Amino acid sequence: MTKYIKKTMVAALMLFIILIALTPFIWVFMASFKTNAEILSGTIGLPKVLHVQNYVTAFKLAPLVTFYKNSIIVGIVATLLNLIVCSMAAYVVVRCDFKAKGLVTLIFSIGLIVPAAALLQPLYTTLQASHLYNTLTGLILVYTAIGMPTTFYVMVSYIRTIPFTLEEAAYIDGCGFARTFFTIVLPITRPAFATAGVIQFLLAWNEFQFALTLTGETSKRTLPIALYYFKSAFASDYGAMFAATVVVITPSILIFILLQKQIISGLAAGSVKG
Amino acid sequence: MTRNKKWIAIFLLPGVALFAYIFLASLLVLITTSFTDWTIAGKLSFIGIKNYVDLFTADKGYLTALKNTIVWIFLQSTIHVLFGTMVALILAKKHWYSNAMRTVFFIPNIISSAALGMLFLCILNPQFGLINNLIKKINGDFNVNWFMDPKTAFLSVTLTWLPYAGLVTILVISEMSSISDEIIEAAKVDGATPLQADLYIVLPLMRNIIGTSTVLAATSMLQKLDIIMMTTSGGPGVRTMNMPMYLYQTVFSNNNFGLANAQGVLLILLGVLSLVIIRKLYRMDDED
Repeated sequence: MTKYIKKTMVAALMLFIILIALTPFIWVFMASFKTNAEILSGTIGLPKVLHVQNYVTAFKLAPLVTFYKNSIIVGIVATLLNLIVCSMAAYVVVRCDFKAKGLVTLIFSIGLIVPAAALLQPLYTTLQASHLYNTLTGLILVYTAIGMPTTFYVMVSYIRTIPFTLEEAAYIDGCGFARTFFTIVLPITRPAFATAGVIQFLLAWNEFQFALTLTGETSKRTLPIALYYFKSAFASDYGAMFAATVVVITPSILIFILLQKQIISGLAAGSVKG
Repeated sequence: MTRNKKWIAIFLLPGVALFAYIFLASLLVLITTSFTDWTIAGKLSFIGIKNYVDLFTADKGYLTALKNTIVWIFLQSTIHVLFGTMVALILAKKHWYSNAMRTVFFIPNIISSAALGMLFLCILNPQFGLINNLIKKINGDFNVNWFMDPKTAFLSVTLTWLPYAGLVTILVISEMSSISDEIIEAAKVDGATPLQADLYIVLPLMRNIIGTSTVLAATSMLQKLDIIMMTTSGGPGVRTMNMPMYLYQTVFSNNNFGLANAQGVLLILLGVLSLVIIRKLYRMDDED
């Protein structure tokens, strides 16, 4: 008897999770193929005909192509830069002896302590003073910095597991410090790069607050802003709004389904120090 | 091997420079200008702690934002962590649905939270939203404007954060995989039911990761600008105002930079305070 009660409770819990975590996606996906009239009448089921027109309208109403392009540039460059900067520092922290090690670790962890919202006005001022306001470069630098803690911890814990003998052999053969790092160490750290890289890419891809406040023109905006754009400017064309939502979230979901392992292990590694 | 000082410096330089430019400069601006009167037109002038005093005495909106944020930190670090941990205990076992459900629960955590806000805005829409239309099938007169009705707004916003318990679930499950099967088997041999094994063996071993999840859950409440902006913008009135949203308005609607930066300092302090309290409660500084 208690077994059945337990089973029912577990089933109810799973159903609840599906309701809050999956249903919104399915519903918006279906609604993105409905006509405006169909949406407004509040139908719940499948669309009568596939109204693909919504997607065309979405791309017409909001400069989604520009937003997409910007998001891809910002995402890729911020990820590469973040990986290089953090892996270099992580390598030195793991392999070399120097006094300021604790300070360096603190510097790379600061992003964990400072909520992004606290930096809203100061970063706006800093970027304006250095003429990087309303530029993709500004956004790239901000995202590179925000993602430092996770990447740094992932890289430190991975480099620790690499046996030193390989590098030693390289040094004995007369290989310099930088060359050893770039040609011997970096290729071995590829798995850690994948882990930290996906997390960093998603951070840059999804970030909203700084994308909104540190850029001013449509030509410099990234994808998350597209939805804000729709919400305020074209609030009556719901079909197009849903289509835009689908267009914005699909890449993140695809990345997650393809790289689930890396993302989860990266989040676990990056959070432990939090 | 050459432990060359030059190379150490060169390898650290990019990271340190980035820290100085993005974090250090901002923190200096933040802290110093929080003691000044600084609006978009005027010049900076030192006014001591007046901004802080004003926030706590003359600013009803800020006090509501502070209260809401603290309530949400509390809810997020209790109910949501409990919920996420409970689901983790179920999904860590090999049911036919375990892997699929882990993915389902985690998907909202991986998309832009602006998009998640948009999804909730849509399904809770009073006219065409899924929830109201489902309820209307049973009760034809039903009509609640979830995000705009002062009675339901706070609850609705709180609900939008429930999917983030998925992160707790994933973190706890990944930590559970480090427990050796032998311990669990030994408990079973001694006659423990699966529930007893979970409660008395697994959970105590999870103390650190649950503590970490609690820290993440609590501090995430200091960053939630996007969902609020997409759903209620803090309204109706200031019913769902939180600290980041209020700070945003102080900067971009009122252009009162000094006052905004005082809020920024308080935001950091509240974060550090939550961190210290949670670490104490979970005894996370103890060595195991």
